[in-house]
Amino acid sequence: MKFKDYYAVLGVDRDSGQDQIKNAYRKLARQYHPDVAKEPEAEERFKEISEAYQTLSDPDKRQAYDALGRHRPGEEVQPSAEWETRYWQQGGPQEVDLADLFEQMGFRTAARSGRGARDFAIRGQDLEVSTELSLEQAAHGAEVSFTLSVPVQRPDGRIERQPQTGRIRVPAGVIDGERLRVPGRGGPGHGGGAAGDLYLAIHLEPHRLFRAVDHDLYLELPLAPWEAALGAEVSVPTLDGPVTVTVKPGMRSGQKLRIGGKGLPHRRVGAGDLYGVIQIVMPPHCSERELELYRELRAASTFQPRHHFDDAHPAGDATHG
Amino acid sequence: MTPTLLETPPMADELLIPADDSQPVALEELLAASGLEREELVELIAIGVVELRGTQPVWTFHARTVTLARRASRLRDSFGLNPSGIALALTYLERIETLERQLRELESQLPRAAVDG
Repeated sequence: MKFKDYYAVLGVDRDSGQDQIKNAYRKLARQYHPDVAKEPEAEERFKEISEAYQTLSDPDKRQAYDALGRHRPGEEVQPSAEWETRYWQQGGPQEVDLADLFEQMGFRTAARSGRGARDFAIRGQDLEVSTELSLEQAAHGAEVSFTLSVPVQRPDGRIERQPQTGRIRVPAGVIDGERLRVPGRGGPGHGGGAAGDLYLAIHLEPHRLFRAVDHDLYLELPLAPWEAALGAEVSVPTLDGPVTVTVKPGMRSGQKLRIGGKGLPHRRVGAGDLYGVIQIVMPPHCSERELELYRELRAASTFQPRHHFDDAHPAGDATHG
Repeated sequence: MTPTLLETPPMADELLIPADDSQPVALEELLAASGLEREELVELIAIGVVELRGTQPVWTFHARTVTLARRASRLRDSFGLNPSGIALALTYLERIETLERQLRELESQLPRAAVDG
């Protein structure tokens, strides 16, 4: 099995006391806990930290870990025969993960302490997988495949990791950050305990045009200045294909056009809305004729867009005119 | 002591169907799925961070409470929090999520160049 340096993970010396180990863990947990930290690597890092803490905070496990000796992280380690007799009654595992080994050691301790099998029924591990869906898949439902590395106990008592694949039906109407629970499909229980659950975390891929906020979608809707002034019939894309929308005369940048029911569907009935956010945009180049018309417009208009800057008019008058 | 022979979970190539979001979750199921102790859950309900579904004499919960309760037990285990501490952390996390949602909503209304560029 591959060696992991639990002391280095927690950043403590090998002779640190339990309090120092606990403090180091608490400090790192505050930084990397997946419920608190937002960086994508935080979850992976937190797994290492809590794995290290679980072994080093238990005096029996720490003693067994220390007895493995010092190695470089990732180095292949074979427990000595003496280690096996001391800590492992039925022969040490071969192809295992260090974490599984120490986790199982806890079960052994419980089993050896003379309690009946029913007393140490342990619920199976919950498994977490995540998937990236497009907005279209979220709207229409999808089927996703996943692969997990699951610790499985063999008839001889050893735990080994086995790859497991599966498929989950994602119902229409999921949103970003949602977790779907599949009861009883996590890791198997121990000693008569129930199986754990499987959780599928949903992440929505960024879309070329739409931005999702829960069930609502936002779309930037550019208008030419004359479209904003005069109004227009524009074709707007939705997840179900284009719709024609009437833009009223006099639209301003930032105003929202609500297109009801064209957001992401809810799980049962209804759907969120699609918002077209108006942006008044200028053509990259104006022709001489266009400029001429603007000059004409300038001469004809009495509009004063910065009217409210004037000291003579208090801020309350800003909307006037 | 004979080790218990454990079966591989039956997920080879069978299509798994997630739990129905609208189905109530029973108290025992919530406790098993979250790893919270009964007393802890009772206290979190009393503080008001965990809500009951309806007012039936038998307690049931919304499916979304499973995620919340799992987060509660993670916070308890990782930071050694008691129910008041858990409730405080959950309240702050919920507040942060509301603010992040509002931020996303506002960002979604800005021109793309202002957000992405």
